[in-house]
Parts: sequence; C-alpha cells; structure tokens
Amino acid sequence: MSRRAAAVALVAACAAVAFATGWARATAPDDGPARAAPGAAGPERHTGPQGRVGQFVVRCGYDHSAPDDPIVHFGHAGRSHRHDFYGAVGVGADSTAGDLARAGTTCDLRADTAAYWHPTVYDGDAPLEPRGLVAYYRAAPGVAPGAVEPFPFGLAMVAGDATATAPQAGEAVGWTCGTSTRLADAPPACPARAPLHLVVTFPDCWDGRRLDSPDHRSHVAYSAGGRCPAGHPVHVPQLTVAVELPVWGHGRALRLASGNVYSLHGDFLNAWDPDGLEREVEACIRRDVVCGLASNRAEEAPFFHG
Amino acid sequence: MRARKARTPVFLVASVLALVLVAAGCGGGDDDASGDGDAAGLDAIRVPQDHDTIQAAVDAAEEGDLILVDAGVYEEAVDVTTPYVTIRGVDRNEVILDGGFELENGIRVLETEGVVVENMTARNYLRNGFFWTGSDYYRGSYLTAYRNGDYGIYAFDSYHGQFDHSYGGGSPDAGFYIGECYPCDAVIDQVVSENNGLGYSGTNSGGDLYIVNSVFRNNRAGIVPNSGSYELCYPERESTIVGNVVHSNNNTDAPSIDVALLAHGNGILVAGGVRNTIERNLVYDHDRTGIGLVPFPEEDANDLAPPRSEWEVPCAQTHDEPVPEIPEAECRSIEGLLAGCAVMWHPFENRVVGNVVEGSRIADLAVATADLFGTGETTDTLGNCFSGNTFATTAPADLEALAPCDGEGSGGSWDAGALDLLGLFTQPAEAPPKDRWRTTPEPGPQENMPDARTKPAERFEGPVPPDLDAIEVPERPAGS
Repeated sequence: MSRRAAAVALVAACAAVAFATGWARATAPDDGPARAAPGAAGPERHTGPQGRVGQFVVRCGYDHSAPDDPIVHFGHAGRSHRHDFYGAVGVGADSTAGDLARAGTTCDLRADTAAYWHPTVYDGDAPLEPRGLVAYYRAAPGVAPGAVEPFPFGLAMVAGDATATAPQAGEAVGWTCGTSTRLADAPPACPARAPLHLVVTFPDCWDGRRLDSPDHRSHVAYSAGGRCPAGHPVHVPQLTVAVELPVWGHGRALRLASGNVYSLHGDFLNAWDPDGLEREVEACIRRDVVCGLASNRAEEAPFFHG
Repeated sequence: MRARKARTPVFLVASVLALVLVAAGCGGGDDDASGDGDAAGLDAIRVPQDHDTIQAAVDAAEEGDLILVDAGVYEEAVDVTTPYVTIRGVDRNEVILDGGFELENGIRVLETEGVVVENMTARNYLRNGFFWTGSDYYRGSYLTAYRNGDYGIYAFDSYHGQFDHSYGGGSPDAGFYIGECYPCDAVIDQVVSENNGLGYSGTNSGGDLYIVNSVFRNNRAGIVPNSGSYELCYPERESTIVGNVVHSNNNTDAPSIDVALLAHGNGILVAGGVRNTIERNLVYDHDRTGIGLVPFPEEDANDLAPPRSEWEVPCAQTHDEPVPEIPEAECRSIEGLLAGCAVMWHPFENRVVGNVVEGSRIADLAVATADLFGTGETTDTLGNCFSGNTFATTAPADLEALAPCDGEGSGGSWDAGALDLLGLFTQPAEAPPKDRWRTTPEPGPQENMPDARTKPAERFEGPVPPDLDAIEVPERPAGS
C-alpha cells in the first residue's frame, strides 16, 4: 500500500468509527445570520490563545436549577424561567449577597461565593445538566490593567437579552466549542473533545454608586477602546463566563428556558469574599499576570471519535 | 519598595537564647527538624519567630532577603511579588505547606524575578504546589509537591529557570511543567516524578530547555512535550531530554486529565513537537511505546501551525501580537472526525539517539502521523531520525535503517509495521474518578538540601546548561 493509500485508509477507518458511533454529517459551525460588530451593545473581547493578558480563572460546578432570579425577580420564588446556578450554594429568589457569602461554594477558589446563573438549556423537552463553568476575570481589551478595581460587594449584573428572538447585536453572548473564542449566534456542531459552551461577557464599567438599577443594566456599561463611558467611570474586571454543556455533534433540538437559542443571557451577583477578590485582582489583573488557564486538555473524549 | 522589617537587638538575644536552649535539648545536626539549630548566625527572616506566617515574612522581605521557615504545617497560599528573595525550609520533610483541599497554590510567584524556593513540601492544594508565572530567573530546589490538583511544580511564561533535586507526585496533569516559553533557558535536573497523569508536560516550550538526569516512573505517561494553539508560543520545540530513567508509565491508579489518558502507556511521547533531542535515556516497561513521535490533532484551533521559517522566532517577538482568526478558506475539518478549524501538529525533525529502550508492548521506537488534510506531510517526510539506540521493536519496522540521523535512509517501506494511530487515539485508558489525586501515595522522606540552616542565600543568575557530553545512559535501578 502506498503512503497516500495508507493515509486514505486511515481516514476511511476513522470515518467508519465515526459513523459506527453515530456521529452526524457536517462539522462546519451552524453560524446562522451574520453577527453585528461589537460596540456599545456588547463587549470588546479577548480572542485567540490564552496566555497573553493577565487573568485569573475560577472553575465552578453546577449547583442546582430553579425558576428563580434573585436579581430580576428578587423575593418572588418561581416567577422566573428556569435557571441553572453555580458558585454560592443554594441560591434562591430571596438570596442576598450577604446570604451568598455565608453559603458554601461550588467554585475551586473558595473565596468565590458569588452566584452565576443562566437560563437552562433544553434538548427538546429535556433539560441538560451542565458540566460546570469557567469564569475568566481580566482587564477588558485596551484597558490599563492597573486601573481595574474589584467589583463592589453586592454588585448585580445582567448580560444579554432574555427577550431576543433573533441574533443579538454585539458579542455579549454567544455559543462556541470548547475554549475557542469564536462565537456563533446559534449552537455550532462541536467535537466531543471541545463540547458546546455558552459564553456570556458582562459589562466592565461601573457608575461607582449603585449596586443595581431598576432595569438591572444602567448602572454598568461596556468599555470601548479601553475607555469607560463618562457616566460609568470605574473600571472593573471584564468577566466572561463559559458554561460547558454535555453536547456535541448535530441533531439536537436546543432551546433555552427563556426562548429560542438567541435569548441567551446570564446573571452575576458579586458575593466574593472581598479580601479574596482584591487579592486576585491585584495579583493577576493589575500585575498583568496569567494566574490560570482553561483549555480542552481535560475533556473526556478520544480524538477521532464522535 | 516596602520598608524592611526591623530586626531588633532584643530579637537577636532571644534567638541566641533559643539556639542555646534548643541545641542543649536535642543536639542539632542536619536531620534535626526542630528549627533553630545553628541558624541563628544566618541573616534571615525567620518563620514563625519573626512572623507567624510565610506570607507575612514574604511581605516584609526586601530584595536579597532569605526567609527561613521552621518545621511545621503551614496552611497558607503564599503570593510572592518581591524580587530576589529566597524562601527556604529548614527541613524538606518537616516544613509543609498544606492546602487542605481548600487553598489554590502553595507558593505562587507573580511576575517577579529571582525568586528561589527550596527545601520544603507543598501538598493538598486545589491547583499547584509551587508555581512561577511571568517570573524570570526562577529556581525550585529540594522541593516536594504531592496531591495537588493541577501541577506539582510549574513554570509558565517564565525564563531562565531551574528545577532540581525535587519531587512531583500525584497530580492529574503533570508533576513538572514548563510551558509557553522560547527560548526558555531552563533546566530540570535530578528530579523524580511519579504517580501523575504526566511525569513532565510542556506545551509550547523549548529552546535551551534541558530535562536531564531525572526519573519519570509510574505515571500515566512519562515525558510528554506537546504543541497547541490554545496557548501562545507554538510549536513546542528544541527540548533536550538526556540521561533520564523513564519506566513503567502505565499507572492505571494515577489521577489523570484527558490528554494523559490518551498518552497513557508511553515513556517519552512527543505530541506534535519539533526539533527535540532525545538521547541516552533508559526507557522500559511501557504498554504502548517507549519513545514515540506522534501528531497532536487540535480541534477548534486558534491558529494554524507556523511554517519552518518561523520556528526560530523568539516567543517575545510574537507574544503580544494579535492572532487573527483562521480564514474560512484555510479552516479545515473532516466530516465526523475533526471539527471546527482543526490543525494537525506534526512531529518534525526530532532526533532519537543512543537510548536504551526495552519492554514496550507496541514498539520501543515509533513515529507516525496522518496526512488528514492532504498537505503532503506523511510520516516519511517529517525529518525525524533514529540512530544508535538499543531496542527490540520499532514502528514502522526497521526504523533506524529508514531514518538514520547520519546519511541516507534505506528507502524501504514506511508502511510495514506502521504504528496504529487510530488505535492509539480512539482507545484512551479508562478515566479514574475526578478526585483520585486527593488520595495518591505519600512519598517517603526526601533528600534534604545541604546546609539549609547555615547557607546564605545566593542571587540566582540563571541556570547553567548541563554538561551533556558527560551524561551516560543510566543504569537500571536495582530490583526493577
């Protein structure tokens, strides 16, 4: 057998394995409509390989799901669509930041008792149990690292539009495979070694006064060109949350508890131990040091396999 | 610069008194873990005598200071941002940083030059035992790291470093890791790495990077440098691996991340790395290959593999450049196999010379790749060479004749007895429980640094490259 023939045979053998294990046809991402350019509606994001800019990362396990939202529907248990919660343990509709700080955490940095949540992802009628999330804390692109202040305790933030029925402008939310930074509006077909992730990037400018606002948005904003807008002068970390889902390949009927896949959004309620957050912001963001990384090294799936 | 902590005459008197009392009580000596011994004459900040915690001592230190830590269990995660300090335990086996499965890193050095850590143990940290990041002129000597959740002893984006006389065990990733640097100017010498997912891992590192005179045993896989665009400074290149004992890396009880499951059962496995030198190692008892050169398929890659013309570009020149998305036209995938923009990192131009390789269940020496994208890079075109090794089996067959390091190859068939890459990649070892690392074996007592209580701190000016010519193939350890 010639070398070329051997290579072809290897591909054919791989294909046979793939089909035998039920993998579907094409692997090109189902990107859907073209995305709007980043701007005021969304963040400027760090893209490409990790290891260039200072960051710290927190890995948090999935805690529970409930139709609660302690930011948007505080005190009204059951009023929200279903959310998946991470970070502080046992978050409910009437949880305050103080409550969270006294709870345990699912995060590997024990100082991170903040809460993170997003609408549950369904495959048809079946809710998917996420594998966990990685939270990246960095200076937003162009922002002087030394200017970044820790989030104030109790800061509430929402990113993305829960009412969207079409692709959202900007890149506050999106879907990707593994730790890739290319975002798509709709879930792409992913390999098992880099499974589907939903990605939410929160505002990185704060008005310096309010922990929340009536619309839960106007007290924070996104920076542009490394600058915060005049009404939101305080640089805080750019928080990007990537949630890993047990999804790869094609043929899924994915939707969100809030609507179709375009209605992706996420929430963050800061209840970090203030000393712990200050330490990480100082050590990693202000010094511009890579304190941790996330990669697909730990994914549980063989190569060449559905 | 922070103000130096004043060490008062009162303290000196107390130290002398303590010395007299302790010396009278237990007689001192190198194996004495009681602390003071004859250290009172040493110019050092003492823990816990001067400061209750190592962190407090580090915060009080100035450039050039020695921090001498007494025997005890320190439940701390220490951050170091003071340049050219030395943090030393009086007894490697009795000075223990313990993360209690709650804390992140034992000692973390953050963008700070010249930090030396020596003669102590870090265990039970959720991430790393000893960690230098963005920190040049680093040295870790006589360190023991075990039961840590990511790496044992770890340097990232750091240059001019040395790990020596140290032990890394029981981590699901690597016992020792040096990553994202080129040319690294770093030496790993006389270390032992066991019961890890990977004995050594280095992603996108190399260039004056030496791994010598060390033991990598009973891991999932032994020494595994690799390339990938998930971090910067690709490809992995120019690592020099000489005079190591690499054996029995088939440990199904070891913790493991997924790439270690894929690499399971291999002694020295170059995964998509280039221009590495693998010489005069003793490699034996592996379920797959003793020394293997294989591709690393990366799905959803951030960048394409750089051409040969860019392999010698220092990382410093590319580190801060933006990486544009892979153009759609160059974004390759294979239906049902490799998704997104996939990149095959091929192993190019590695030299495998003068090793003694025995008892490999698939092949003592092996090289393979797959030209999945039709770029013409097949196993025979990669420029790897094999000469002067002692072995029984190779894949492809007759590898030293096919690809000698000097002269032309035999022109024989590269297909005969070729490595079954598909089998290698589709049949990873079974995953252990995620928390397996928490219960890995405790190492026995480890060799202490000589004169730990009396030796003044020395400014570390960078590693001395090992005398490679003086290194011979190691003898097989007794009883193995």
